Amino acid sequence: MPSEDAVGTATAPVVPGPGAGPARHRPRVELRSLPGLTAGVIALVVVLAAPALLPGFKLDYLETAISFAVAALSLNLLVGQTGQLSIAHAAFLGVGSVVAVELGSRGLAWPLVFLGAMLATAVAVAVVGVPSLRIRGLQVAIGTLVFQAFAIDLANSTGVLAATRSFNRPGYLQSSGHIYYLSLAVLALVAFLLRRTRTTRAGRSFVAVRDVEARAAAFGINAGRTKLLAYALSGALVGLGGALFAFQQNSLGSAVPFGLQPSLLLIAVVVVGGARSSAGIVIASFFIYALPSLAPSGLSKYIQVVFALFLILAVLFQPEGIGGVLKDLDRRLGDLVAGERERPNPRPMPTDPVEKAHSATALRQVPRPLAGRLPVPALLSARDVTVQYGGVQALQQLNLEVRRGEIVGLIGANGAGKSTFFNAVSGLAPVRGSIRYRDRELTTAPPASRSGAGLVRTFQDMGLVRADTVRENLLLSQGWLARYPAAAGILGLAGTLPTEKELRRRADMALDLFGLDHLAEERLGDLPYGTMRIVEIAAAVAAGPDMLLLDEASAGLTPEEANQLGYRFNALRDELSLTLVIIEHHVPLIARVCDYCYCLESGRLIAEGTPAEVVAEPDVIESFLGAGSLKPARGSA
Amino acid sequence: MIGSEIVTGLTIGAGYSLLAVGVVLVYTSTRVLSLALGEMGAFGFYLGVKFNLHGVPLLGWHLSAFEAGITAILVGALLGLLVERFIMRPLTARPGIDKLIVTLGVALVLALVELNFISFDPYPAPPFLGSGHFVLLGATLTTSRIAELVAAAAAAVVLYLILNRTKLGLATRATTSDPTVARLLGVKVNNVYRFAWVTAGGLAGLAGALVSNTNGVLLPFSLTTALLSSLAGAVVGGLDSLGGAIAGCLLLGVVQNLAQPYGIAYESGITLVIVLVVLLVRPQGVFGRSSAF
Repeated sequence: MPSEDAVGTATAPVVPGPGAGPARHRPRVELRSLPGLTAGVIALVVVLAAPALLPGFKLDYLETAISFAVAALSLNLLVGQTGQLSIAHAAFLGVGSVVAVELGSRGLAWPLVFLGAMLATAVAVAVVGVPSLRIRGLQVAIGTLVFQAFAIDLANSTGVLAATRSFNRPGYLQSSGHIYYLSLAVLALVAFLLRRTRTTRAGRSFVAVRDVEARAAAFGINAGRTKLLAYALSGALVGLGGALFAFQQNSLGSAVPFGLQPSLLLIAVVVVGGARSSAGIVIASFFIYALPSLAPSGLSKYIQVVFALFLILAVLFQPEGIGGVLKDLDRRLGDLVAGERERPNPRPMPTDPVEKAHSATALRQVPRPLAGRLPVPALLSARDVTVQYGGVQALQQLNLEVRRGEIVGLIGANGAGKSTFFNAVSGLAPVRGSIRYRDRELTTAPPASRSGAGLVRTFQDMGLVRADTVRENLLLSQGWLARYPAAAGILGLAGTLPTEKELRRRADMALDLFGLDHLAEERLGDLPYGTMRIVEIAAAVAAGPDMLLLDEASAGLTPEEANQLGYRFNALRDELSLTLVIIEHHVPLIARVCDYCYCLESGRLIAEGTPAEVVAEPDVIESFLGAGSLKPARGSA
Repeated sequence: MIGSEIVTGLTIGAGYSLLAVGVVLVYTSTRVLSLALGEMGAFGFYLGVKFNLHGVPLLGWHLSAFEAGITAILVGALLGLLVERFIMRPLTARPGIDKLIVTLGVALVLALVELNFISFDPYPAPPFLGSGHFVLLGATLTTSRIAELVAAAAAAVVLYLILNRTKLGLATRATTSDPTVARLLGVKVNNVYRFAWVTAGGLAGLAGALVSNTNGVLLPFSLTTALLSSLAGAVVGGLDSLGGAIAGCLLLGVVQNLAQPYGIAYESGITLVIVLVVLLVRPQGVFGRSSAF
């Protein structure tokens, strides 16, 4: 069992092979990034010069827009990153504002007031988000909608929004310009923290919950806790926005924008701005919160309706919103000034490691009289394992074992229970019976703990996040190695940066080992399917497993790719000392690499033995290969 | 005394269940949680009331209050048709959160049009079915309250019969269980989706007229606020169970009415507590079958 602080202390690479990671290119300022840089600089200058350009009351509108931009960014943490929906973010902004005014009016120093508002709002949002611990669907959003109504009723009946109390702004932060710059600083801080979050364990967990929630445990992620963290974090940020709003207003009147309509507008801002782009969201905030006040008065009602229509149109036609449009524009302008970018050629199946594995295993390519079990104790043993879904027995009284250093094959027709066995081992299926791993009972251990124990699996239909890059996926799979608190990671506190660096180094080593290093920055979903499958194995290896469970790794590959996969399996076992359990339909592959083989049918074990023995069994031939089919020739691939 | 409170609560719950029936119908057949239904109904009644007060543009007819109510139903159904065809159908393959958000977008657009282009001030709601009242078990009920009760019961019975006795109902149930398999078996899935949205839209229009009558005025988002209680009731009873959702709405109506003397915040506060507890303890609802989305 690897030690708890595996990454903190371990400096020796788990993967033998190239000692250092591949050389990284140091990015210089390229010609193609010029248009984007220029636009950014101009925008920054305009934003910083705004107090000199605008009269004070118009500056107030910009300040309000900034508070709401903060709320929208915090909402995007839920909507865009975690796939959860809050229909009460304006109310939560109100919670932050009210708490801030209450604290401020009692004479607390303003930074403490901000912290208090963040804390209180984080608690409020987390409480409403608590049902997400149990629910995978969107019903949680209904809870937030009910909260929205409750918050308004509560405010109306208690009169907390009456303009009798004030924030007590300090004397040195009274002028419109000062407040504006403070607002800008808060916005920049929030955008920076969100950006940092993406590069920490927390941010990767959010995305995993959004895209592959049912499988998040395979990366050592507890989905419920991750969602609660997202709610609390979003709450802290929207509380910060609320405190900022209260600071700007100094005292709250009754006509404050915390109702249902502002909550819906915030959702519109996130969608129109684009869930993947903070800049897009800030621009959208400006359009809906500042522009109607700055534009001629007759126009504002049109702006609102048009903006709401944009929400529908964006979902239909431009899911990445303004951010997507900006990115596209940036790419085109870049192409214009610097010529078409040369796209890295995704070598679908890198050959070098294959050659290497080939030469390493060539020595063993003799007929193997040793076929059969190794005389070592079992690493994984299943005793009387039964999995029942409603009336269906997916596994019945299964007994099997896997010994250290073996490659064990699991075969059987569709629906035989092979993947169910993997689910049982990885804690994704309800198990009766006993599964022991390194002589520890697995069935009682939480699902998210298994990758840490050295058991790592892949999924038949890809368990990775297609919207993320290859490297991000390899970082995600090492979730159990990033054992720092979420807040410490986001703030970049001591210890977390070296851990992240180490994770990146491991990711790069794994990519190198699989000949994928040139694809590190590519979006996974853009790669050819065969390459994706290899990335999935690389991600599993990056997690530092003792035992790999590979679910139909050859599915969807060409025969040549599947053949190469055989060398990879041998290399994983022989060079990385891994133990492999593979689910396979490709019989020649099984025959070539497996030391031992189990055949399932309708949840029962019908045969076990060496591959040659198993495929010769009449039951197996009938069940799996089809009655009357010929005995497959060994190594015919 | 308590009896009359309960009867009043039941009629409130019946109002909620009119919208909840539509929510459940759309949810079971399309797996979309529609938050647009309230505003779709309100929009229909907004138009009806506008035609009642100012006449139909160009034609100059002044609709009667009853005709305003009929307008609400027709416009609600038409909006259902349009939303299904041009917004929801292209999004069929998209994640649930996108569909949920787009229904919110529809609600937002309609509410902003109501606010900015129909009437900035609250509209008076003309008595759609006359303005008498009745006394039932000690509770004084206006016509619109009685009508909510009757309409909800009628809608539930008719829908139950359609779903269980007709070919369309069979197609709907097949689609609910698995749209792909239903399609392979020759079910015209799009017809089922259209049926669900048009029916839900029409019911929303009826709810828009009746609930506004009970409230006395028509405001942007007032029906979305009513929809919120419908959703809460449907969550409590089970989003995929017609009877469960109605039972949940009735329960919620009674509880809210009992909490009402203590203040509005208690009414919505207890709703919030009930919803959070049900979501946490029994996410599929008391009568629901599955919690999967």
